[in-house]
Amino acid sequence: MTMTAGPAVTPESSSWATWLASRVPIDLEALRHFSNEPVPNHLKYWWWCLGGTPALLFGVQAVTGILLTVYYIPDAGSAYESVDRLTTVIPFGWFIRSIHRWASHLMIAAVILHVMRVFFTGAYRAPRELNWMLGVLLLAVTLGFGFTGYSLVWEQLSYWGVTVAANLTDAVPVVGGVMGRMLRGGESVGSNTLTRLFILHIGVMPTLLTLLLAGHILLIRLHGVTEFEFESPDKAPDEAARTYPFFPHHAMTEVIIGVGLAFALTCLAVIFPAELAEKANPLETPAHIKPEWYFFWTFRWLKLTSLTFAVLSIGFAGFLALIWPYIDERLRRRNTASEASVYVGAVAVVVLLVLTIWEAMASS
Amino acid sequence: MTLDEKRWVVAALSFMFLGALLIVAWVEGGRQRVQPEAAPVVAGESARCYDCHAEQTPVIATQWAGSEHARLGVGCFECHRAIESDADGFLHEGQLIATIATPKDCQSCHADIVDEFDRSHHSRAAEFVGSLDNVLGEIVEGRLAAVNGCWQCHGSPVRFLETADGEVQRDSDGKPMLDPQTWPNTGIGRINLDGSQGSCSACHSRHAFTTKMARQPEVCGKCHMGPDHPQIEIFEESKHGIAFRTQIDEMNLDAETWVLGEDYSAAPTCSTCHMSATPNQPITHDVGARISWTLRPVVSTKLENWEPKRNAMKDTCNQCHAPDFVDAFYVTFDDSIEMYNEKFAIPAQNVMAALREADLLTPTPFDEEIEWTFFRLWHHEGRRARMGVSMQGPDYTQWHGFFEVAENFYTHFLPQAEEIGEGTASVEAVFEEIRAMPEHLWREGMSPEQRAEIDAFYQERYGAVPR
Repeated sequence: MTMTAGPAVTPESSSWATWLASRVPIDLEALRHFSNEPVPNHLKYWWWCLGGTPALLFGVQAVTGILLTVYYIPDAGSAYESVDRLTTVIPFGWFIRSIHRWASHLMIAAVILHVMRVFFTGAYRAPRELNWMLGVLLLAVTLGFGFTGYSLVWEQLSYWGVTVAANLTDAVPVVGGVMGRMLRGGESVGSNTLTRLFILHIGVMPTLLTLLLAGHILLIRLHGVTEFEFESPDKAPDEAARTYPFFPHHAMTEVIIGVGLAFALTCLAVIFPAELAEKANPLETPAHIKPEWYFFWTFRWLKLTSLTFAVLSIGFAGFLALIWPYIDERLRRRNTASEASVYVGAVAVVVLLVLTIWEAMASS
Repeated sequence: MTLDEKRWVVAALSFMFLGALLIVAWVEGGRQRVQPEAAPVVAGESARCYDCHAEQTPVIATQWAGSEHARLGVGCFECHRAIESDADGFLHEGQLIATIATPKDCQSCHADIVDEFDRSHHSRAAEFVGSLDNVLGEIVEGRLAAVNGCWQCHGSPVRFLETADGEVQRDSDGKPMLDPQTWPNTGIGRINLDGSQGSCSACHSRHAFTTKMARQPEVCGKCHMGPDHPQIEIFEESKHGIAFRTQIDEMNLDAETWVLGEDYSAAPTCSTCHMSATPNQPITHDVGARISWTLRPVVSTKLENWEPKRNAMKDTCNQCHAPDFVDAFYVTFDDSIEMYNEKFAIPAQNVMAALREADLLTPTPFDEEIEWTFFRLWHHEGRRARMGVSMQGPDYTQWHGFFEVAENFYTHFLPQAEEIGEGTASVEAVFEEIRAMPEHLWREGMSPEQRAEIDAFYQERYGAVPR
């Protein structure tokens, strides 16, 4: 039997590099080529780099989340007390928890902005439809992270938020009842529910997000970053002028964003540290309660419509978002200059903003 | 932006980030620095005590170090110092000290509290030598039953071990040796060697002396429990006890002041009703200051000055209940105690008096069965019934109380008395009086219709009639 040769090791290579190269036979040249594709010039501006921001924040969440899990107790009788202890007794516990909380807000905001940027620039169009769908799923998982995360604190918002979510699940036709019981772990919200939320938050969702993210990045690399279309190809500058190298130029931009985020998160954690509201009390329905800001629109929509209609309409809207590249393709097949997607997007944004602001301004 | 410019931005942001982390460390340091502020103040002579006892008796030192005393600089020597005239004083490491800290020691800082305590029944709890309880404990059961039982709650006189010629025995260091039967003792009415009565540590356990502990019912439950005065059990079954147990987190037990309705409102404890402050009255260490009946003797009586005492208790009740609610409770409470007195206690007492007058009983207590039966009737069952009513414990009022009183009275006490008094006219006259009382006429028998009604109930509910 013959063995294939590993990557070339130059005579100058150090002994450990030689050892490593023979044990991990990766073609470094190919890797360098794969990871260092030229990226379009517009990525020099940070607002075009929002796709990388949630990934950086996910890293922050993974590290701080693991640290929080050291002290967090996923039991209805102890969860709130363990978060209280984390916040008030454990050294730097308040800081880690505050970073985790603020990073979650920023991550959701960054994902939403990234989705909007991709949508309004038409970057989801063929051949990138699948990546758009992965992106929509990533948005859903990120929102799920937010929901399960604040539920684990087991304060009044947690308990009643889960109660509303479970009631919403019940309202899904046919399978709602079974799904609602599965979410609650029985007939009522309690320790079984908390265990499920904990498993979702620290096990299922991180795995799902990692897989989706890996697929998302892989497809970006395979397709390349979307470039601006020019009215006529002859007006487009050549590739060298249109792009710049990923390493080190764009990587350095991501480093700037990363360090800037670290600074911003630290300032937010110190100035607005995570607090603890009243403990969950199943016997006391709060008079004034609201979900986190990113669910304001759903909460207002629930108030305006019936439970079943709200569930079905939100589900349908999510489905439309998921398959939008194919709807857009149909529209553009009839009229290649169609800007329908911009109008639809603008209406969707306005509706969501109005619902969100309406709920934010409501006293209860 | 050129690559170099980006590098500068990264460097600047990194410095800003590090600066922010320094602020985080400073904030965290501030949180940690809260701890040293609560460090014990070990001053004067106590410093030497603490240094040594932190090694020799670390638990005691730690308990004290976490106490309010420690925070205020009240150390070992302040409480354990002795004067020349103290019989139990002895030289220890160059200081004259005494083992037992008494209310006289506490009085130097807590004069008002000790005065209140001196007026209370608690301070006289050891004065039960002439009681039947004492005869039972010390003689009938045996002295050590009293030493380890009765005295641990009531307290006892503290005594020295003495030599054959009456001198106080001392150990090799010259320390006077206390009689092991009288010390250790945290009975609340302990009679101390300096003449004071009481033990503050009965409720404020040494050496932490927390008010939090004294505010909780478990402290009272050490003694106020069991077959003859089950206050803790009654409290636990009452709505008051349920509210306390289920809402203990909202009791604010650590609060410096503990005024009902201001510092807490979730539930009452023993302390709330009998001692603690309301917006209208201050805290008192005279536990009888709000009690209007005595529920301990054979026949209950209202206490001296019972009306102001009841008003003080009503003020506490009124913090949580409407006045009508409280008044209605007191109507049925008074009526229930009167019913116990009239129906069972006075008749039984009259029977026992008639038997003694007729010389049918010996003067020695507990040498005849009926004396045990009678004792159980009022001292155990009768108290349970009365205390059950007073603290709103339904099961203690009925099944552990009046049911057992009635069962004893009709099936044990009266048959035993009738057997002893048979043929003695003076005693039989008392029996006749009892039989003629409307409360006891039910024994003449019920009508067939009444019996049929009961049978029908059981038939319908359980499918069978108990026979």
